[in-house]
Amino acid sequence: MHEPPYLTELKPYGRALLDMGRRREEVLCLSGDLTRQCEIDLFQAELPGQFIHGGMAEANMMSMAGALARCGHIPFVHTFGVFATRRPYDQIANAIAYPNLPVRIIGFMPGVSTPGGPSHQAIDDVALMRALPNMTVIDLADAVEVAQVVDAIVDVPGPVYVRLKRGEIPVIFDDDHILSLDRAEVLVPGTDVALFASGMLLAAALGAARVLGEQGVSVSVINVPVIKPIDTATIQGAAAEAKVLITAENHSIIGGLGSAVAETVAEAGIGRPLRRIGLQDTFAEGSLSGPYLFEKYGLSTQNLIETAWTALGRTGPAPTAPAAAETGEYSPV
Amino acid sequence: MTAELSISGPKTHWEVLDPLELALRIRLRAVRMVAPQGFGYLGQALSAAEQVAAVFARATPGLDRLVCSPGHYIIAPFAAATELGLLDEQIVSTYGQNGSPIEAIGTERSPIVDYTCGSLGQGLSAATGFVMSDRLRGSDARTYALVSDGEMEEGQLWEAAVFAAHHRLARLTVLLDANNSQVDGPVDSITTIEPIADKWAAFGWHVQDLDGHDIDAVSAALSAADAETERPSVLVCRTSTVHGLDCLPPDADGHFIKLPPDLATAAVEELTGKLEASRA
Repeated sequence: MHEPPYLTELKPYGRALLDMGRRREEVLCLSGDLTRQCEIDLFQAELPGQFIHGGMAEANMMSMAGALARCGHIPFVHTFGVFATRRPYDQIANAIAYPNLPVRIIGFMPGVSTPGGPSHQAIDDVALMRALPNMTVIDLADAVEVAQVVDAIVDVPGPVYVRLKRGEIPVIFDDDHILSLDRAEVLVPGTDVALFASGMLLAAALGAARVLGEQGVSVSVINVPVIKPIDTATIQGAAAEAKVLITAENHSIIGGLGSAVAETVAEAGIGRPLRRIGLQDTFAEGSLSGPYLFEKYGLSTQNLIETAWTALGRTGPAPTAPAAAETGEYSPV
Repeated sequence: MTAELSISGPKTHWEVLDPLELALRIRLRAVRMVAPQGFGYLGQALSAAEQVAAVFARATPGLDRLVCSPGHYIIAPFAAATELGLLDEQIVSTYGQNGSPIEAIGTERSPIVDYTCGSLGQGLSAATGFVMSDRLRGSDARTYALVSDGEMEEGQLWEAAVFAAHHRLARLTVLLDANNSQVDGPVDSITTIEPIADKWAAFGWHVQDLDGHDIDAVSAALSAADAETERPSVLVCRTSTVHGLDCLPPDADGHFIKLPPDLATAAVEELTGKLEASRA
């Protein structure tokens, strides 16, 4: 793993999809009028015969994608996460998830990564997609994993939802890191706190673990890129070794990673205090910058540190996160 | 919607000798399917019988596709397929019963059609997906989509209509069952969807407005749609949910017809008589 500050990459997803489209003609690229924003402008230019512009009509686009998948195509459907999930939910349920078709729904701009306000902030997309039978749900933020996700999901028999950050993607993992759809990964071992993170909160989790470690708090960090089906064995193993559990996600604390971990450990009878970092059952707001929202809504490295500190019953002031521990550009639309 | 049991499945074959007779047999079969429960989606079959009969007469077996957008209408394709020997009579006799694979509202398990859905307004989008796929693959197949007028209240239908016209999906034929019926009453008492034909024309479709119970008119309109090479086609079929079954009471609820045993017996007698007369 690299150390912060992390280098960033642009369009790792868009390049990977184009490469896949060149290799597999059954791969189709559908756009809901956010072509450049979803990194598929390259695909449109290079492979126009495999590109379908659905226009600003998500319901039609999802139902159509289901029909295309029935015919043997593998449609990758692109729009922002809000428009990919809330708006065409019934269509995804009936035309894609229920028939268990290989449609790949790619929702950009997760959680409060955008300052565009509640209409643009996908804070419930993981919860919505996770509730659908047959759906695989993935939340990534590292460029190495993003570059691998197209190959990883192209032949999954059923539907997949992937939420992807726009703009600059941090490079956290080494080049030889392999994205697994089956296994969560204990990146850092620890015995006091088990910190489960997905997507954009992974960098913050690693930063918090580092600071807490310097104060003698032993924190394990578990990267959980696949929220469903969740790797119960790794989560239960890490939870059993810790005194306190914390989940961290750029999403509502209801229905996403926090809920999935809670269900997993409770079903295994692992009784541990659990704190869920995420949007605390609230809509966020519009702003000038994303980092402001991460701070305000409790998604910062500092909040992770303080949550662990108080959950362990430590007295005295919590240690302070170094400034600018997070990376990333947050593109308004 | 198992491929081998759909009309587009490569091994599927049938022949329609007389579409008018098939429409009568669809009505009779639908009565028999609904009778054990004493209620059901009989009105949908009465309304769409001629459209479904004409499509089965026109479609190329093993190639063309059939979308039944409103899942409640699945009784009509099932009835037709049973009469044409595509579905087992014993299985069809379990229509709508507990544990039956032949569910009353169409599902993924529903045979014969390539797509159906009980959540309304989605079938036209699926149909455009099929036609796009056929175009990408260089197939000459035609997709027939049975759509109901009430579905014009759903926004998604218009998303699909815009898309299909923009992409000049001429291999798409919609049979719009304009029976002016939805759950809460006549469509025109709830929303004004007229002028139906003008709306579709304004969206760039080839439109024909016709009597949906005139089997010759429906068949001719399907031929005209086949000849259209630039635009998707819609047949605005003016129909009634109680057509062709005179014994129904005047206040019958066309969306969900009640058919107690004595009325079922009368309906079978009436339709059997009409069938015999048509053969004479």
